[in-house]
Amino acid sequence: MPNLIFISFYIAIAGLGIFLFAAQKLKEKDKQVAALKASLEEMDEQAKLIMRTDMELNKTQEELDKKISGLDILQKLSRDISTTLEEKQIFRKISSEHLEELGFEKSLAFLWNDLKREFYLCLNLGFEDAESELIKTAVNTDKDYYLDLIRSGKNASSVFIPDDFLTKDRINQLFEVRSFIICPILAQEGDQGFIFVGTQNIETRITEGEQELITILANQIGQTLDNARLFEKTWRSQQELEIKVEERTHQLSQALEEVGKVSKRKSDFISSVSHELRTPLTSIKGYAAILLAGKLGAVPDEIKNRLEKINRHSDELVHMVNDLLDISRIESGKVNMKLESLELKYIADKVADLLSEQLKAKNITFSTNIPDDSRNALADRSQIERVFINLVGNALKFTPENGKISINAHRSGKIIQIDVSDTGFGIPEDAQGKLFQEFFRVENAINQEVKGTGLGLALVRHIIEAHQGRIWVKSKLSEGSTFSFTLNAA
Amino acid sequence: MNISLGFSENKDHIQAVNEAVGQAIVGLGKTRRDLAIIFTTIEFAHPLVLKIANNLLGGIPLLGCSSLGIITNRGIFKHGFAVLLISLDQQIFLNLALVKDVNKRTPVAAGRELGEKFLSSCKDTRRNLSLIFSDGLISDGTSLINGLQEKLGRSFPLIGASASDNSAYVQTFQYFNKEVLTDACCGMLFGGKVNFGFGIKHGWKALGKIRYVTKSEGNIIKEINNEPAVKLYEDYFAKDALELAKELRRISIFYPIGIYLQGEKEYLLRNIISIKGDGSIVTQGDIPQDSPIRLMIGTKDSCLAAAAASCEEAKRSLGAQKAKLVMIFNSTSRFTLLGRQYPKELEIIKSVFGENTPLIGIYTYGEQAPLKSINYLGRAYFHNQSINILALGGQ
Repeated sequence: MPNLIFISFYIAIAGLGIFLFAAQKLKEKDKQVAALKASLEEMDEQAKLIMRTDMELNKTQEELDKKISGLDILQKLSRDISTTLEEKQIFRKISSEHLEELGFEKSLAFLWNDLKREFYLCLNLGFEDAESELIKTAVNTDKDYYLDLIRSGKNASSVFIPDDFLTKDRINQLFEVRSFIICPILAQEGDQGFIFVGTQNIETRITEGEQELITILANQIGQTLDNARLFEKTWRSQQELEIKVEERTHQLSQALEEVGKVSKRKSDFISSVSHELRTPLTSIKGYAAILLAGKLGAVPDEIKNRLEKINRHSDELVHMVNDLLDISRIESGKVNMKLESLELKYIADKVADLLSEQLKAKNITFSTNIPDDSRNALADRSQIERVFINLVGNALKFTPENGKISINAHRSGKIIQIDVSDTGFGIPEDAQGKLFQEFFRVENAINQEVKGTGLGLALVRHIIEAHQGRIWVKSKLSEGSTFSFTLNAA
Repeated sequence: MNISLGFSENKDHIQAVNEAVGQAIVGLGKTRRDLAIIFTTIEFAHPLVLKIANNLLGGIPLLGCSSLGIITNRGIFKHGFAVLLISLDQQIFLNLALVKDVNKRTPVAAGRELGEKFLSSCKDTRRNLSLIFSDGLISDGTSLINGLQEKLGRSFPLIGASASDNSAYVQTFQYFNKEVLTDACCGMLFGGKVNFGFGIKHGWKALGKIRYVTKSEGNIIKEINNEPAVKLYEDYFAKDALELAKELRRISIFYPIGIYLQGEKEYLLRNIISIKGDGSIVTQGDIPQDSPIRLMIGTKDSCLAAAAASCEEAKRSLGAQKAKLVMIFNSTSRFTLLGRQYPKELEIIKSVFGENTPLIGIYTYGEQAPLKSINYLGRAYFHNQSINILALGGQ
């Protein structure tokens, strides 16, 4: 019995111990569960933080992606647009692909026509023609709102609508989109307007970055419109100028043609008159010679004297007629220049030799200076000899006794310039320009004494020009003159 | 089975149809044409386009749907018209069917009707696979499948895609012979010996503690842990219901609800369509009451890894056979999540199946495919945000 009591007591103690142990364990488990629950709650809170951070990161990433692709496409678009100089072509450069890269599928651009007081459409992407016409009508109905927006220079978008502009819903409804940006196109000159871009994509959120990109695009369009308009203005002025120049050129050509006709008539007239004159002159001269020779009987001195005058004047007249005929022939191109290599020094010396008597009579010093590189010219021998004779002859006529006459030459490239200089009386400045005209003679006392036809220098000019050369004079009164002409080097 | 693909992104729609169909016809040569599957972006969703295609193809059976983009060997295109021409082997047959007014008549009724139509001409034949294209804006995609499974059997292999538009969520299109439809579901039932493999994955990971759907009706979650369902999102994002509603699409894509499935490696995702005034959440597929759920988070890397896993699974289930054609039904959400990296998925698919394996695909608002775990006996489910790969093998 005592054993039983002892055993029962022992069992009760053990049971209590087990109970206490189990209770302890349970308490610990509860603690662990509570700790786990707390951890789970903490982890859930952390998960919330992760979600929120992830969402922000995604937004930033998306914004960045949009900016990168937007900038890329904008750069391509800007390059294409900025090189366009035709107003209509500017908007054609913007394609659906560009628009999609910017995150939109619909776009319209309107410019304001101040004369008609209405907006006109210049870009349509993503709308049927009938739809865009309806929108244009609606835009013109609400034109004051859009004009105010353009004047303000502000954007309107799904995320920001300026005061006094149409409501977001009105825009969404009109353009059938869920998100949009409307940005003014601000050109300095001419029509201004706005560009609309929009999308039906429910996932699109208009960001500040996108608004900036569309603003850049609108500015680029505005600047290019300015450039195109300036270019068109300049181009039009140039066209007008070209038309005027063309008109004037035509008038001048006609006048020149008329002058040519008159000149030809003159040449033909001179030629025929000269020919007609030469025959009777030859007869007059012949008869005078017969009479002078006394073949028809002795001629009294008084008559002889008159006959000599007739003979001399006839000679002068023949000379004049010959010069006129030569000028006429050269002008009409009837004289063929037989070009050959001429030794200028030889011609100069020949002329000097020809005129040696007169030079000696007036004690005039004659000199030539023709360097080796200017020795040979390509010219017609007989014609160039006439030039030298005329020029040296003139110098001789107008140079007082003890003067100097020189012939100098120098070469510049393929051209040889020949200068015939004298220490004569000189030519007045106002007469120098007319010197090479037919029948022009300087009106002064010397010319009263020295006879001439006024055709010599005109003939010289024609000969030189027929050689593709040029002739001019430099002169100073009382100091002398230099007649210069050019010929092609041989 | 012989296949041939044609694609054109010509902006002239008629020209595009001519080009794409022309390529496909030339590719198939003189082989008999049995079926055409057409995928287009929404601007091609026009009866005239389909009529021209039908005429060019000689009036053969035709089905397909619209999409945000077209996936081809050449790349992913945001505009285009694609055609897949199939010439079947003698021992394979197919039956095409269409149901209209899915939402109008309830999706489950439409599913039943579609099932009946599929079976109408092949009751005594071995049926192998069903491929369906449904309107992506059907509110309860799960019910449509349930209705279909009532007729075809719960474990019958079903692969499908819910058509998409240009992310406007306004209207999607289904193509059936010469008809362009909305609120419809069309598809085909393959019978005979069809060799196929499939894989479906999404890549989203669970975050936070498990919660339970304590009250739900079809695709409406009323309460989670005995609180209004929206509170889950309010707590996690520190935003009230109004603020959440403004960013709902975005939040739904990046942080959908995941239903825990025992034995499955991934949770079954559910997109949120809307938040109701009483705090209920409307999802694109159903969430049964008492389902354990968690909030999910996706990253670009996990998304791409899932694409690779999906392809590998499809390839593996095809066995030793080489894929003759790979069809891709890829969620539009993945396109959004991947952003500029979206072409990488195509690179991954090509790297698994080989550069020259013909492939064609679309972006979807929902995907249908069976679960792999034994617990689900091969039953097809409605998926969100997943990449669904169907590989068809040759003899």
